[in-house]
Amino acid sequence: MSPDRLSTTFAALADPTRRAILARLALGETSVSELAKPFDMSAPAVSKHLKVLERAGLIARGREAQWRPARLEAGPLKDVAKWVERYRRFWEESLDRLDDYLRKIQAREKKRGRKK
Amino acid sequence: MDERNNLQEFVITRVFDAPRDLVWKAFTEPQRMKEWWGPKGATVIKSEMDLRPGGSYHYAMRTPDGATIWGKFVYREITPPSQIVFVSSFSDEAGGVTRHPMAPTWPLQMLSIFSFEEEGEKTRFTVRWSPLNATEEEQVTFAAGHASMQQGWGGTLDKLAAYLAKAAQAA
Repeated sequence: MSPDRLSTTFAALADPTRRAILARLALGETSVSELAKPFDMSAPAVSKHLKVLERAGLIARGREAQWRPARLEAGPLKDVAKWVERYRRFWEESLDRLDDYLRKIQAREKKRGRKK
Repeated sequence: MDERNNLQEFVITRVFDAPRDLVWKAFTEPQRMKEWWGPKGATVIKSEMDLRPGGSYHYAMRTPDGATIWGKFVYREITPPSQIVFVSSFSDEAGGVTRHPMAPTWPLQMLSIFSFEEEGEKTRFTVRWSPLNATEEEQVTFAAGHASMQQGWGGTLDKLAAYLAKAAQAA
């Protein structure tokens, strides 16, 4: 995945209302008016947020003109997570190697001690 | 004012079957860092350390896929043999601070703390990170990353959504 797409995803996630919208959509697809209710926001304002989320690929919209339900798209969030997982692996694997290294040098020291 | 951003820290901890002095040395002697630092298959090709407050550790590693990653620690506090506080960042050959190669909005600098605690004959090592002077966008990147780092990988999307909901409530 390109850094640019990741940036778009993160930018879309930078707004608390959009995060709340995603959290709501995690429960199932919903119409704009339904989404607007808990946020004390007009439908056009919600639509604006949905557009940003749609551009980032975080949601998809239905085709029906009247009732265009929005639903969560897992792809970009998974990409974010996959990238972060790499960071974690960097550390876990480094610490595995450190564990091997510490065993090795301690065994070596023990051996040397016995020879004396 | 606290320059650290008000977010949960990201923490990894591990217990090593080795005395604390030895674990300390593994992190504070550049030739020892070379022996283990980096993920499986990586080779440390540069390891230069100036262990004092204000000094830095500048490293480079070659990953199995042939990429070279440069990174830097700038030390703030060194308390042998129990704690090291430093600022970590990605870097370049000249030692400058650079962005994460894959994620331009990852915090530029992370306040990092290594701690070393004795547990009988063993040693518990803990590393903690929090973003330093991060912009809002960087904080969100870290928060999204934090959620997935802490929660592992089963059913992550649900958990991430729940986390985001909580973050939205708190905002």
